[in-house]
Amino acid sequence: MSELTLTNRRFALGVGIFTDCLKYFAWWIVAGVIAAIAIPLIVGQWADVNMSGWYHAGNVAKIWTAILAGGFLYSLMPTLVAVGVTRREIAGAMGVFGLLWVLAFALLTLAGFLAEHTYYDLLGWSQGIDQETPMPLETYGEVFAFILPYPLTYAVYFTGGALIGAGAYHSDAGWFMFIPVIPVGLALDDLLSKVDPWGPGWLVHFVTGRAEFSPWVAAAVAVAVLAFGVWATRRLIVNSPIRGKAA
Amino acid sequence: MFDDGTPIYRQIADQIKAEIMNGSLEPGGKVMSTNQYAAFYQINPATAQKAFRELVDEGVLYKQRGVGMFVADDARERLAADFRERFFETVLAPLVREARQAGIPLTDIIDYLRTQEGALQ
Amino acid sequence: MSFAVNLRDVTLRYGESEALADVNLTLEAGKIYGLLGRNGAGKTSLLSLLAAFRRPTSGEVLVGGEPVWENAPIVSRVALVREGGDFDDSDSVKSAISTGELRPSFDAAYALKLADKFELPLKKKVRELSRGKRSVLAAITGLAARAELTMFDEVHLGMDAPTRDAFYKELLAEYMDRPHTVVMSTHLIDEVANYLEEVVIVDRGRVLVHDEVEAFQGRGATLTGPADKVDAVAAGLEVLAEQRLGGTKSATVAALDGEVRARAADAGLEIGPVGLQDLFIHLTDPERTGA
Repeated sequence: MSELTLTNRRFALGVGIFTDCLKYFAWWIVAGVIAAIAIPLIVGQWADVNMSGWYHAGNVAKIWTAILAGGFLYSLMPTLVAVGVTRREIAGAMGVFGLLWVLAFALLTLAGFLAEHTYYDLLGWSQGIDQETPMPLETYGEVFAFILPYPLTYAVYFTGGALIGAGAYHSDAGWFMFIPVIPVGLALDDLLSKVDPWGPGWLVHFVTGRAEFSPWVAAAVAVAVLAFGVWATRRLIVNSPIRGKAA
Repeated sequence: MFDDGTPIYRQIADQIKAEIMNGSLEPGGKVMSTNQYAAFYQINPATAQKAFRELVDEGVLYKQRGVGMFVADDARERLAADFRERFFETVLAPLVREARQAGIPLTDIIDYLRTQEGALQ
Repeated sequence: MSFAVNLRDVTLRYGESEALADVNLTLEAGKIYGLLGRNGAGKTSLLSLLAAFRRPTSGEVLVGGEPVWENAPIVSRVALVREGGDFDDSDSVKSAISTGELRPSFDAAYALKLADKFELPLKKKVRELSRGKRSVLAAITGLAARAELTMFDEVHLGMDAPTRDAFYKELLAEYMDRPHTVVMSTHLIDEVANYLEEVVIVDRGRVLVHDEVEAFQGRGATLTGPADKVDAVAAGLEVLAEQRLGGTKSATVAALDGEVRARAADAGLEIGPVGLQDLFIHLTDPERTGA
């Protein structure tokens, strides 16, 4: 970070938060990848496997993405303002961090799904999505189409988490705010992933064309939700006072 | 190092005067800079500067732009004259006041001072 | 390029309560200021406004002649070090220090030199530091920021006396090396008095006094002697405090000019000095009416 100027530091800061975050959680990510691979292999000792480990890993990843975005923002606000960074710059850095994180996790999820498809094929298992009526992914094309909305999904979860984190910091309620917000958020997530026509991983049905709505309408709704979330989060960040320290 | 009754800049000015009187600062000699004084006594440099300004106003020090502060050639005479002038007011007046409170007769004081005459030579 | 500070009709409310009421204050660039006040008087609120930690409810806060809120060129050269510092506790000390590099003016080499001098364990996590070491870390980030307006809010807490002394020394050296505006908020008034050029006393959300430090030193005095004589001399003066012990009375007066000093001396009264701290205690006494 030696060539920092006031114009580029928000980008450098965003990249810095991203790499710090990867370093900080490196072992958790490795553990998640191992679990996504190992659990179906262990289950496979006793029965034929018909669902994707990576689908579950992706579900964990999106919730975790939300918690991480909120937690980082919440704890970084005073630290960054104290070193003379403006709130606008923090909002910009969170945007850079979010983009990189979403991209990295979408790529990791895609790689995981594709690799899984390959060895499930070899073992004669079917890569299914865990639903009331299991939804098998039969070709690489179907896998790819299934993964396609993930960047948008991660982005929405990241923004949702950041919005909650920003709200918690902005209001004096602090972490107490999470007591009502977390169950509501999880219930919403559960609802979206179970109830037709939203389907698993919630945008999936639209993009894969299984829903009754056009995938483009669904994508547009998601983008609108995302845009609103980004706007609201930025607004909260930019107006947030730095709270006093507990005496 | 400082008592908190008198402003510190005055105490520093008095100290520099004392150093001139006792010869540790020679006429024409260079005085330490305000920053050196500030660092030595651990005081705000503006305080040291105030002491210097006072001494320049009194003609004890003079400033050479870009070089520093120097002791005026006639500083010692000036201070001695000054001291003589103030001697009665700052030394003898309180003495008389305290003597009166303690009920010491003036003649006792004069007698005492006579015994010290040798030391004044 | 030190920053001056201007507050114009500044009010800060937290919900119903008023932390600062209609404050007007000008701090000239390049001086060391002491910010004194009792707990809850509004010191931290005032500093929070200057560092754009908070936005005033009304009024204007100018630093370096510009509104400070969300002003990157200004806030990147303003440092507010709060008690215990603002760190990510899970960070190592080293990376907590390097967060300061987000300031273009940050001096990493100086920070590491100070860390070495004050024996900070770079590899430890911030949360593992003792209170004193944590305060040292906070102080170091403030010094190494090389800011144009640097503010320390009760940063000495937990530091032992030799460490505080070394910190003040370093602060003074840094100040003389590179003149900038410094504001120190502290309760250890006598400890820092000599480092200050001006003093601002806040009380109940208002600026009570703002003056040169010399104006405080030697301004007040304590007159002690027979009660009737003390009363006679102190008549018409602003008496901050009185104490009686039998027939002896001691009165602390806010100001004592040469003429009254002479009268007091003639009356045989003992004239004692009033230090900045004592004066502060008297001036902010809640039972004192008017200013």
